[in-house]
Amino acid sequence: MVGRRDFFKGAAASAAGLVVGGSAAPREAEAAVVPPPSVRPPTEADMQAEFGLPRAESRGLALQQEGATAVTESEPASDYMVDVLKKLDFEYAAINPGSAFVGLHESFITYTGNKNPELLTCLHEEAAIALSHGYAKAAGKPMLAMVHGVVGLLHGSMALFQAWADRVPLFLIVGMHRNPTGIVNLPHSAQDLGTIVRDFVKFDDETTTLERFAESAMRAYEIAMTPPRGPVMLVVPTELQEERISRGQRPRVPELARLTPPVGDPNAVREVARLLVNAETPLLMPRKVARTQQGWDAMIELGELLQCPVDPGGYGSWQNFPTWHPLWGNGGSAYRPDVTVAMEMSDMSQLARTARAQGRKTISISAEHVFGHSNIHDYGRYAEVDLMVAGDAEATLPILIEEVKRLITADKRRTLDERGARVAATHREAHAKYVDGLRYGWDANPISVPRMVGELAEQIKNDDWALVSGSQFTIEVQRRLMNFDRHYRYNGDNGGFGVGYDTPASLGAALAHSKRGRLPIAIVGDGDLNFSPGSLWTAAHHRIPLLYVVHNNRAYHAEVMIVQRMSGNRGRGSGHAHVGTTIDNPNINYAQMAKGYGMYSEGPIENPKDLAAAYSRALERVRKGEPALVDVVAQPR
Amino acid sequence: MRPLSIWLVTVVVCFATIDLAAQAQAARPAGDASRGKQLFEKTYRCYACHGYDGQTGSPRLVPMQMTEQAFVAFLRKPPREAMPRFADVPEQDLTAVYAYIKSIPVAAPPADSVPILRDVLQRRGQSGQTRTR
Repeated sequence: MVGRRDFFKGAAASAAGLVVGGSAAPREAEAAVVPPPSVRPPTEADMQAEFGLPRAESRGLALQQEGATAVTESEPASDYMVDVLKKLDFEYAAINPGSAFVGLHESFITYTGNKNPELLTCLHEEAAIALSHGYAKAAGKPMLAMVHGVVGLLHGSMALFQAWADRVPLFLIVGMHRNPTGIVNLPHSAQDLGTIVRDFVKFDDETTTLERFAESAMRAYEIAMTPPRGPVMLVVPTELQEERISRGQRPRVPELARLTPPVGDPNAVREVARLLVNAETPLLMPRKVARTQQGWDAMIELGELLQCPVDPGGYGSWQNFPTWHPLWGNGGSAYRPDVTVAMEMSDMSQLARTARAQGRKTISISAEHVFGHSNIHDYGRYAEVDLMVAGDAEATLPILIEEVKRLITADKRRTLDERGARVAATHREAHAKYVDGLRYGWDANPISVPRMVGELAEQIKNDDWALVSGSQFTIEVQRRLMNFDRHYRYNGDNGGFGVGYDTPASLGAALAHSKRGRLPIAIVGDGDLNFSPGSLWTAAHHRIPLLYVVHNNRAYHAEVMIVQRMSGNRGRGSGHAHVGTTIDNPNINYAQMAKGYGMYSEGPIENPKDLAAAYSRALERVRKGEPALVDVVAQPR
Repeated sequence: MRPLSIWLVTVVVCFATIDLAAQAQAARPAGDASRGKQLFEKTYRCYACHGYDGQTGSPRLVPMQMTEQAFVAFLRKPPREAMPRFADVPEQDLTAVYAYIKSIPVAAPPADSVPILRDVLQRRGQSGQTRTR
């Protein structure tokens, strides 16, 4: 799609072409065939009026005309900005182009040769920021994203919100004309641009000088990376990017301070350890805890030390424990936890209330407790826990483990091991029962979700795979059929429960994983894919290896159910729930859509017997470094 | 065996036979199964949660264990909030849906005949603790 701002840029180029070069004859010939436009093309004078010329780059041209010495003795300010950003070690910058950050854009592609960061062309700002979201969780560090003032920011705001709710660091630069004069740039600037998204960014600043840009960039990065992590944003005036600075007056590039996360108070952690070790039926509930190998290992160590169930939950959780581990689960319906320790759980109000009423204890360890503010109700309801430990759970785990070790005697060890054996037996039985249930409808058409996931799991079981899509409605089947035995096997979900995350975010995560030699796979809903189909082009254009499996169930099925429920409650007829909720008539052919974007695809696959071969062919492409898509016409969930 | 005992046994067997026949009669759905399929898939969209064949969703409907009467009562006033109410739906629609569900054969191959599931169970069984302590 060509946006208004791009249209004007195109118009500017055409106008320049008219002035600078080209033969007049072909243009006259064209004019003879094509009727003259009702609106005349913009002239140089129009462009000056629109964009407030002469701009800094025009001043640069003037300098060039005055003599080469002047140019070599000065440099674009955006080159300096790029040097600052290089300190932050960005591998990629996701963008949808916009004239308000063209100074930086040009510096990235010519001053640093489009390397570190390499620009990723996205077809929508929401896709660009969501791509950064998925990448940050997989890579453990932010990706740079750049968008245009107001319009680009508004397009990207949804993805920014999702990253906020998911506590994921993003680094966003918004270009904006500080002194707009034309009809286009006036609505693309604001007195206080940050206010548009301030409710869901951790930090924002408008960088009015280069020194401030440098300091704010370092500060923003530190804030983004300090738990609870989150997106940050710098508004960088177009005029500042395009200024020329004398090399002698180049500000110093600051150094990034080494970061340490907030850790729980040692006395409180000691109390948590005492309660856990003395509990008869403790339960660990990690949520957004371990995105590193160390955190993953620490969760396993704590679970095995205590020999208690570890229940990572579903929605809103990152995977923090191996799904086929004997202790993975909630201990079964008969297991009544007397001490529950939740880590980075956003809302444990119901859990805490119920436990308190029954005389059982609940503890929360979370960086959320040192959190400043939120206008969004993503912090949940107030939880009446017995002990609230303010600190990053992953960073607190090593201290907790040492305290637990110190308290476990030989006698206690035997008791804990007996408990662990009982828990493991319960979990083994539950897993077997669940998997046995998956054979129902195994040969069904439309294809059953277990079949869709199972055939995929079978083909990648010997690969070093990474599932980069969110949980959706298939996560439980995935966990039962796929062994999530590494910290990177699952990348978590959207954070804010908004559709449209999976398709672009999976791509960002795939980028991070493919550099580490892993096989990225994503199971995305057809509803999600339709929010950001242009991501398929980004995947094809940048040759990002990723297998998209489209769970094509042709409706927003959760909504079918809730509309049905509303109709039933109101007693006004129950036969119309499909209106406004289904995506059929006509059915969408996602395989064809992918081909249109230049991606290898298979499907639509309707017969379950065709699935294995389709996956095999698509995976062959992905293993060679290409993206591929398999469109699976499947049961709703 | 005494005559009285023989008589008693005969009576019990007769009653049992009559009862079984009555149960069989009661178990045979009164509704129109083919119409029920239309209602299940196109009108009331039951498949959205329970799967097109009633056995791939949650909860699984096949094999249907409820009696027709219990099924209709359940739909009129579901005990679970997640389940929509069908209080205003004509009874013949509900009995037709019941008839359709009853007509669906269980399509579940034995677990050990599905290599993927068998392999998962085997590999999960071999997965143990890392014994880091």
